[in-house]
Amino acid sequence: MRSIVCFSAEDTGLSRREILHSQGIPDEAELSENLKRVYTEAIEYFQELAEPKGIMNGITTSVFEGVFRGEGLNEEENPVEDIYRKSDYLALFAVTLGSVLSEKVTELFGNGDYATGYMLDSISSCAADKLTDLTAQHMQLELAGREPAAASLRVLGYSPGYCGWHISGQKELFEVLHPEEIGITLNESCLMSPIKSVSGVLIGGSAEIHEFVNSYPFCHTCRTKSCLKRMRNLKLGQ
Amino acid sequence: MELLKQISFNLQNGFDEAVAELTKEAVEKQIPPDEIMNNGLIAGMNIVGEKFKNHEIFLPDVLLAARAMNRAMEVLKPLLIKDGIPVRGKVVIGSVKDDLHDIGKNLVAILLKGAGFEVIDLGNDVPAEKFISVAAEENAHVIGMSALLTTTMPVMKKVVDMAKDEGLYGKVKIMVGGAPVSKEFAKEIGADAYSYDGANAVETIESFFREDS
Repeated sequence: MRSIVCFSAEDTGLSRREILHSQGIPDEAELSENLKRVYTEAIEYFQELAEPKGIMNGITTSVFEGVFRGEGLNEEENPVEDIYRKSDYLALFAVTLGSVLSEKVTELFGNGDYATGYMLDSISSCAADKLTDLTAQHMQLELAGREPAAASLRVLGYSPGYCGWHISGQKELFEVLHPEEIGITLNESCLMSPIKSVSGVLIGGSAEIHEFVNSYPFCHTCRTKSCLKRMRNLKLGQ
Repeated sequence: MELLKQISFNLQNGFDEAVAELTKEAVEKQIPPDEIMNNGLIAGMNIVGEKFKNHEIFLPDVLLAARAMNRAMEVLKPLLIKDGIPVRGKVVIGSVKDDLHDIGKNLVAILLKGAGFEVIDLGNDVPAEKFISVAAEENAHVIGMSALLTTTMPVMKKVVDMAKDEGLYGKVKIMVGGAPVSKEFAKEIGADAYSYDGANAVETIESFFREDS
């Protein structure tokens, strides 16, 4: 099953709260008029310029083993390996917001409009993460449509560069998935272009398989700690 | 003096047009450029920095103030050069070879300029040789490097090693930063400092100059 999905900027369902949170701005903060103006401008740019789309392709566990192994640089112990081995369904995926947004951010910085450029970049980063969630939801619905029993599966995305999966894993992933079809390329350093792109594997299985204790050696340097929120959401059935 | 307070106030509020106009007015009134810079602009940025630290304002507010500072510096810079007034320090900055992420690096550059430093921004995808040659040519005080990918971090070590080979090590401070970079990594490769965000980068570079004075 290989599919390309086009989304709209609105589909990302970004809230002002989560965008401001990503910049360390708490709920109770009193925003300056300047900041409110900058936020509004950046949101308008986002809605006008984002070109969100994703590609996914189902993959067998045995083929994924090779993709995951990549160049053999993964952490010896990592949660992704444990999770995918217990999965019912796997698909490689890549999502992007397109290149126009990144070009706009560069243009804004170049013109000295740093605040709007920074806000637009933050919005884009949040949206790229949301796209992964949307693609996972898309896969979940597709699976449930094919087989009603699959409705109880929980699908989450995992990406090279996180959770002990070495970033070089992207090379093998690109070899198999070919996200160039939606305009995403990879350079020698494993940097995707457009920059606001995410790639990885969607893992479908019972909610329990996605649970792990974040006490791996690499967890203490992880800045996102997004696993905690994901696991909390799983427990809440979200 | 009232005029300098107005400059500071408008800068704190990110009113770049007003700051540029008031700076021109201050120059016309024969207020020395270094006084305008120190008692108007940098004084304002110091308050902005304090408010940011205390979470009274947030990064976009700081960036608006930095933009206002830059507008004023466009007016003052030729005069400061003419009067032979040295800048606070010169920083060569860039994202390392094969790394095209530049938002973090841009923020550091903007905040450094806002704090009165001269910044030579080499952009992104900068080879080690370029950091070294520009730092030597420009008599820079600091090299600042950013990397967002673990695969590009080795370039930072290459720069440190080249600085040693070229006799710059110890003369030019080397600072590193970026999501996968850590204090331990900085120490391991022989960099002088690691900084975890833009505001911390400014503080770190300011501390280099305090050490030297």
